[in-house]
Amino acid sequence: MKKKVVSVLLTAAMLTGLLAGCGSNGGDTQPAADNAADNTQTEAAADTTQTEAAQTEAPADNAADTSADTGEAVTLKWAIWDKDTTPYWQALKDAYEAANPNVTLEMVDLGSADYMTVLATELSGSGSDFDVVTIKDVPGYATLVSKNTLEPLDSYISAAGIDLSQYGGVDKQITVNGSLYELPFRNDFWVVFYNKDIFDAAGVAYPTNDMTFDEYDALARQVADPTFGSQIYGTHYHTWRSAVQLFGVLDGQHSILDGEYDFFKPYYEMVLNEENDQICRNYADLSAEGLHYSAAFSGGDVAMMNMGSWFISTLISNIQSGEYDASLCGNWGMVKYPHAEGVEAGSTLGTITGLSVTSVSDNKDEAFKFVEWVSGAEGAKVMAETGNFPALMNDEVAGIISSLEGFPTDAESKEALSVSNLYLEVPYAENVSEINDILDTYHKSIMNQEMTIDEGIAKMNEEVGKVLGQ
Amino acid sequence: MVINMDEKKAAQVEKLEKESADLMQKIREETEIKKKRKLIAEREKKQRKITALRNNRLISREAKRDLVAYSFIAPNFIGFAVFTLIPIVFAFVLAFMEWDGSNAITFVGLKNFVKLPSDTFFVAALKNTIIYVVGTVPLTMIASLALAIVLNQKVRARGFFRTVAFFPYVASLVAITAVWSMIFHPSKGPVNYLLLTVFGVAQENLPKWFSGNLVLVTLILFSVWKYMGYYMVIYLAGLQGISAELYEAGSLDGANTWQKFRYITWPQLRSTTFFVVVMLTINCFKVYDIAVMLAGGGDGKLSTSATVLVYYIYQNAFNYWDLGYSSAIAMVLFLIVLVVTLIQFRYEKNLEA
Repeated sequence: MKKKVVSVLLTAAMLTGLLAGCGSNGGDTQPAADNAADNTQTEAAADTTQTEAAQTEAPADNAADTSADTGEAVTLKWAIWDKDTTPYWQALKDAYEAANPNVTLEMVDLGSADYMTVLATELSGSGSDFDVVTIKDVPGYATLVSKNTLEPLDSYISAAGIDLSQYGGVDKQITVNGSLYELPFRNDFWVVFYNKDIFDAAGVAYPTNDMTFDEYDALARQVADPTFGSQIYGTHYHTWRSAVQLFGVLDGQHSILDGEYDFFKPYYEMVLNEENDQICRNYADLSAEGLHYSAAFSGGDVAMMNMGSWFISTLISNIQSGEYDASLCGNWGMVKYPHAEGVEAGSTLGTITGLSVTSVSDNKDEAFKFVEWVSGAEGAKVMAETGNFPALMNDEVAGIISSLEGFPTDAESKEALSVSNLYLEVPYAENVSEINDILDTYHKSIMNQEMTIDEGIAKMNEEVGKVLGQ
Repeated sequence: MVINMDEKKAAQVEKLEKESADLMQKIREETEIKKKRKLIAEREKKQRKITALRNNRLISREAKRDLVAYSFIAPNFIGFAVFTLIPIVFAFVLAFMEWDGSNAITFVGLKNFVKLPSDTFFVAALKNTIIYVVGTVPLTMIASLALAIVLNQKVRARGFFRTVAFFPYVASLVAITAVWSMIFHPSKGPVNYLLLTVFGVAQENLPKWFSGNLVLVTLILFSVWKYMGYYMVIYLAGLQGISAELYEAGSLDGANTWQKFRYITWPQLRSTTFFVVVMLTINCFKVYDIAVMLAGGGDGKLSTSATVLVYYIYQNAFNYWDLGYSSAIAMVLFLIVLVVTLIQFRYEKNLEA
């Protein structure tokens, strides 16, 4: 009889144990208790530095805000990716915590490969405790907004008096039904990188900041050398859709949300003809090898490559560290994107990285203050000092970047940093994830030559039409 | 009070005994075997209750035995229920709903299923998956059977060759797909180099193994190569279970090798083959990793020539957060696998009979 009782008890214990395991996570209480203990210490520290902070920030607009906050200790949980290989997360955290000693930032690294998917999963349901999340791309942003997981920032923005025009119109491309859910802090734009040694060896003039696509194509063909064994590629297109297709949106009249993609055709023709004439590497090879663009450019056989400005800091640091052979790619320069006939030079594609406040955050005001700081002038300075392009681009910031050691010294390369029109690779639309995938799919089919350009574009029109017609 | 309890119990026992006797009567009269069995079970239940009452027990000995058994199953079953069974049942429900994981769930009836036939990517995924299954299952079965028969002979270094055949199954998928993409590289791979130099295929006609119609052929070849080792081991076990006397008798009757295979090995391996085919079919319908690794290029996205059902389910669930639609596609996959497996079971049963 006793044995039976024991076995029944055991079963019951196992049951409750298992069920408890998938209930609430009990770990939450622990850090909160720690914070309370630390509270007195940080407050004391806050008092001493408060005056300093107020002094240094006095010229900034938000002086009123900083003096208002009395220094109650808060911890903000912040979602990021690749903490170890991306230097600016830690730099931002250190700089902000130094300026606001009452705030502790807890960074959670979700990895970069499927960051937005992981983040969307984390924010699903009500179990999340993130306060600030980094937004990596616009399709992911659209998903999070439609899932109601982000806080609309409009009231905060008007309360803080932020002038959105400082972002150069980018904010309009991510506005959702009149509301903004993220503030950009990093803004990368596409330029053409080129290898000066190759041009020198071929006796061809360098590319310029004002090239039409025809001139660019001609230049690529001029500098290319298809001789087997010592092959030089005139240009290189990475396998991303953006690298080929989006030449088409630079005229400002077209967008990938149009549902009508005939304007891609001349650019596909240009690239596929270059491929057939061995002016650039073949897409099928690239995709089978999974060749990274940095490996392609640093190999020293690519004369020109269109890529985002994030590649600048990679190039500088990897040439310095010796990871890239300086004799192959050390002598590089960059120019503005080529442009279509009759369009102003300096129009280019951009990708923004932003910060959002989650709708479940308990510290929305503190979280927004952090977002405001990172996307404002001070955050911009931190970004520029680590070799990255802040969304808030001005002459001072451009000066910081172009004076980095290892940045090309010629005037053209410095001039290439000024952008006249920036079109987001993916502007916001409700169904942008699906549109993005459809365009990716048929980009693949066209570039693999499974479909002709016309067939591929017809399928894009048809399938995106279905999504837009829903 | 105690007397009262006893009286009550005695009355209950009496009542149960009477019912039990009635049932016995009925059982005697009943002629149909099925109904008779049911009545016998009912009577046994009554009998158990009577014993429990007589021995002053709360529950009968049999019920206790069951409880103990369940408590041993519980840890595993609870895990299965929480992480598999409940989600599967939930997916059935979700297939008729619209849900993005955060906002309220709304009922949409059959809308998700109505959308399927006009969805280009679903149709492509379904077609590719079916081609892949039809190509992979028989080829893997034949290859693994052939390997098993060869490596069941007394050849030199048999153990070594068995290990070699089993190795692709153990090796990391990521590593061997990298090797395959080099071997079948469209312009630098040794396969295409052979085609170019030995077979004289013109350079512009060299096959692109990872795109267009060929990508499925590559996927099938890869799967056969990777999984034949595993099924070879199963076949080896089956082969070793065949009694040597049968072959001896066959030899005495003058059967040649083919006849021995046809009339001894093959029929004796029937249950093994059945197992292999069922497992292969189910596994092949689940294909995802191989397709993404071999045909995904740099970004792991599959174009219409290589997309498969599981990939499209994932895409809808975690990229578009259309959980209802992705559950509907999962239901289609589930039904296909279920029907195919049922047909296989029926066929096997018919053979047995």
